[in-house]
Amino acid sequence: MFDATLTDRQGRLDRLQIVALLGLMFLGVAFVYSATMTTDYARSLPWYHQGWIRQMVWYAAGIGAAVAICLVDYHTLTRWSFVIYWITIAGLVLVLIPGIGSTQGWGARRWINLGFFSIQPSEFAKIGFLLAQAHFLSRPSDELHLRWNFWKPIGMMVLPFVLIFKEPDLGSALVFLPTGLAMMFVAGTPRKYLFRLAGVTGLLAALFLVDVLFAPPGWWKIKLEDYQRQRLLVYFGVDFAPPGASAEEKARARKLQLEKSYQIRQALISVGSGGWTGKGWHQGNQTALGFLPPGAAHNDFIFSVIAEEKGFVGSVTVLTLYAVILFTGLRIAGQARDRLGKVLAVGVVVLLFSHVFINIGMNIRIMPVTGIPLPLLSYGGSSVVCSLIAMGLLQNVYIHRKGY
Amino acid sequence: METTGTLTHGPDPLTRMAKRLQLRRLLLLALLLGAAFLGLGYRLVDLQILRHDELHAKALRNTLYQTTLEPRRGDILDANGHILATSSFVKTICADPSLIGPHHAQVARLLAPLLQLPEADLAERLQPRLRQNEHGHILTNRYVVLKRKVKPDTWLEIRHALSNLHLGLDEKSLSKAQRAALHDLRSKAIFADPLDDQLREYPNKSLAAHVLGHVGLSERLLQGSPILETSGKDGLELSLNSKLAGVHGWRSSETDRRRREQLTWRAQHVEPRDGYNVVLTIDSVIQHFLESALAEGMEKHDPVSISGLVVRPRTGEILAMANLPTFDPNQPGSNPDARRNRIITDVMEPGSTFKIVVVSGALNDQLVRLSDQFDCEHGHFAFGGRVLHDHGSYGSLSVERIITKSSNIGAAKIGIKLGNQRLYDYVCNFGFGARTGIPLPGEVKGIVHEVKDWSKVSIAQIPMGHGIAVTRLQMAMAMCAIANDGWLMRPMLVQRLEDREGRVVARYTPQRVRQVISAQAARQTVAALKTVVSSEGTAPKAALEHYSVAGKTGTAQKAGVGGYMPGKYISSFIGFFPADNPELCITIVMDEPRQGYYGGQTAAPLFRQVAERAANYLNIRPDQIEIKQADNQPATAGPSTRNPGTVAARSPANP
Repeated sequence: MFDATLTDRQGRLDRLQIVALLGLMFLGVAFVYSATMTTDYARSLPWYHQGWIRQMVWYAAGIGAAVAICLVDYHTLTRWSFVIYWITIAGLVLVLIPGIGSTQGWGARRWINLGFFSIQPSEFAKIGFLLAQAHFLSRPSDELHLRWNFWKPIGMMVLPFVLIFKEPDLGSALVFLPTGLAMMFVAGTPRKYLFRLAGVTGLLAALFLVDVLFAPPGWWKIKLEDYQRQRLLVYFGVDFAPPGASAEEKARARKLQLEKSYQIRQALISVGSGGWTGKGWHQGNQTALGFLPPGAAHNDFIFSVIAEEKGFVGSVTVLTLYAVILFTGLRIAGQARDRLGKVLAVGVVVLLFSHVFINIGMNIRIMPVTGIPLPLLSYGGSSVVCSLIAMGLLQNVYIHRKGY
Repeated sequence: METTGTLTHGPDPLTRMAKRLQLRRLLLLALLLGAAFLGLGYRLVDLQILRHDELHAKALRNTLYQTTLEPRRGDILDANGHILATSSFVKTICADPSLIGPHHAQVARLLAPLLQLPEADLAERLQPRLRQNEHGHILTNRYVVLKRKVKPDTWLEIRHALSNLHLGLDEKSLSKAQRAALHDLRSKAIFADPLDDQLREYPNKSLAAHVLGHVGLSERLLQGSPILETSGKDGLELSLNSKLAGVHGWRSSETDRRRREQLTWRAQHVEPRDGYNVVLTIDSVIQHFLESALAEGMEKHDPVSISGLVVRPRTGEILAMANLPTFDPNQPGSNPDARRNRIITDVMEPGSTFKIVVVSGALNDQLVRLSDQFDCEHGHFAFGGRVLHDHGSYGSLSVERIITKSSNIGAAKIGIKLGNQRLYDYVCNFGFGARTGIPLPGEVKGIVHEVKDWSKVSIAQIPMGHGIAVTRLQMAMAMCAIANDGWLMRPMLVQRLEDREGRVVARYTPQRVRQVISAQAARQTVAALKTVVSSEGTAPKAALEHYSVAGKTGTAQKAGVGGYMPGKYISSFIGFFPADNPELCITIVMDEPRQGYYGGQTAAPLFRQVAERAANYLNIRPDQIEIKQADNQPATAGPSTRNPGTVAARSPANP
């Protein structure tokens, strides 16, 4: 059904996907502007410090990188995949070293400062991981039955996961798991392995949650940052106070809980107050008046801004654009020339999907808050460039598809 | 080998199976993604459409900011523009004890002299107090009002003093948290309530207190939330409250997370409309003359109360109105006796001053002439089962002499001649038994019985001012009607309303109520009243050097429970001058004077004192200069024996 004949004149690019991408980038610029230009101070900044202009620069850089990637056959690229993978892993190690990694004033050490801008190695690690994993899984399907070839990709997946988890950046670490697993799944890893893996992962996740949420004080606890634990408690609606706490402790814990859930409550209010058509671009008072935290509105909570200002129409438009990209991505996977292309395309799609689902999910409170950007919409150079590189990989698979 | 894979000529079944597996898994993945997107979409429908109203309300509560803007209360000015009452914005100084912590004693020492409060008391209030809320959580109190109505200057001084507060600590050695606490203590611990309060000030203290009234704080609901506001409680402050208060403005806007208003998001801003300034007919100089005269009378005769009123008969303008005891509207206190404006709230039997009604009525109906003689029965007149008395034993007196001597029996006989209905008509037409309409709260009507309720003796009693209850103001206005060619005027207290820029908003003009008697009858009555201040009259002490005076004394036994109270009198004198071209009508009423009780002895001298000073101040054209000179030239006995008052009063005695 994905057959094509040599006589077909095929487009060089997946146009529908390109249109959706451009649509997202347009929204990105518009709403980064809306979310950042809220104070006189922000307006008084020189142009090269204004978020929306910088965002356009990142788009240009990302498009350039994507075009460059499209020029080289992905087979050639993946030949270098392990080199790229280890370079990005080195980046992840570097960022953990206090002198090199920078916190940018936030709690976590996630950035390497390069003067004019800073990069976030975890974003590039995702690309490195995609290439390496695709390369590894593209070996003949018989070899995937080997036990060793089951554990190796898992190891490749867990290594960056652990390093990013240490930063700490739970959200970015988490996306490696579905991406890696989906790639293994589509590559044809035998079902029994996958079932076992799913069972073990599910058990571990359950134990993790029970430990975080319900362990009485004094028990051994998984080492999490306070705010991470609190976010999970908020998400699952568990009281902050341990059972058997005194009344005063309970009251204090309740107050803390209200404080800690402030961000997410406000995001929900922003989304809900948008209604059908929203308050109008640049008219969202939740955003402009700082109820959505000003530091986060233009990146992690950009979806709330769009939902507030453009309402249901706007948020469904965003969802539709992502859906177009993801399903054209899956179509590209189906049309791919070989398993390498298929697995790579699926990797990109699932990586993107994980971001979208976790980010929008946390904006509308169906996922816990984990700092993770919305690809192409959220402000942030590393995220934008890496998302566009990933899209370039997808188009690369399309360009070099069957019947080429 | 995968590159050539098609279903028709696949190279080997194993690869084909693997490919099919991959495709199946790809489809499964697509389904999962689709389901996830549907989940997100459903959640969006739930939030943005189904729960929109609830979340929208929450968003509004986040940012909506509504405040009222207080208008400045209008000033009250006297006829010459002198300020009688004014308002200024003041601060309410509050404290947050939780930020003061252990330093309350030091802060109290700093603030006590500035706020003029005892230091120990202040320290106690600044001390943090702990309490437990319903959740069992221990809370520190965070809001204490230290002092209300603090001037803005004082507030600035407090701010300055606090920002330079030194607690004797080495600031460099403090930890970051301690420095932050010190900063909070200096900048946030003492604060002014964001809503400005108003201070009403009466710079002349008790001057015209009963006219002005006073203000108080009252709670009012504004847009559902209670606010404290200053409003009039008595006097003009109460009756003209709506004019003085102005109209609240409001601002509807949005705030950021720290409840700071964002100018760019301001939706509505309506400036308050300041209250109007009220310009009175009261002249504070004359008011002062009157009040100092009343104070002297108070000292001399120690009455329960003493009231005075200065009116322009031609217009009904009240130039001065005062009662003693009085109060300071800046601190109204709680003594209702001092705060009552007896001139309008108390009724009395007027006594002899009321004879003007019957005499002018009879003259108006042309039933009598001034020269008609009445037999005054030598002081004892039995009528209707009662015996009426006079102060002296008079034989036959003309109508004019009845006034001069204030003969009760003569007045009664004129009344009998006038008849019940006509007397009643004149009583009503002179304004008794009805409110005068002065713009002050608490005015009473007095008591005038209808003719059908009269006893047999009423027709003899009412003409001499018994069996009837009037207010001091009604009596004064009736006298003014006689001075004003028979026209009863409505008493006037407010000249005009102005806005803050001095533009006139409303102007009030003199209002005639009705013509009670003809101008001719009025002139005849005036002629009779002029004789009262002659040496033969009851009030020679009311005579003036340069002006002819017409007036009437009154000495009424006070009515108490079960009859008249012996030895307790209400003594009064009401007079106007110059008699034929009246400029001022002055009323003095004393309640229970001690040394002497006749109106002519007690009230008349005060009348003269006020009249002389007021005439001087107002430059009233004397009407007796030539007569006095003519009189003086033959009487060359020497200046020491000269009694100009008596001379002046006697000379125009011929009608």
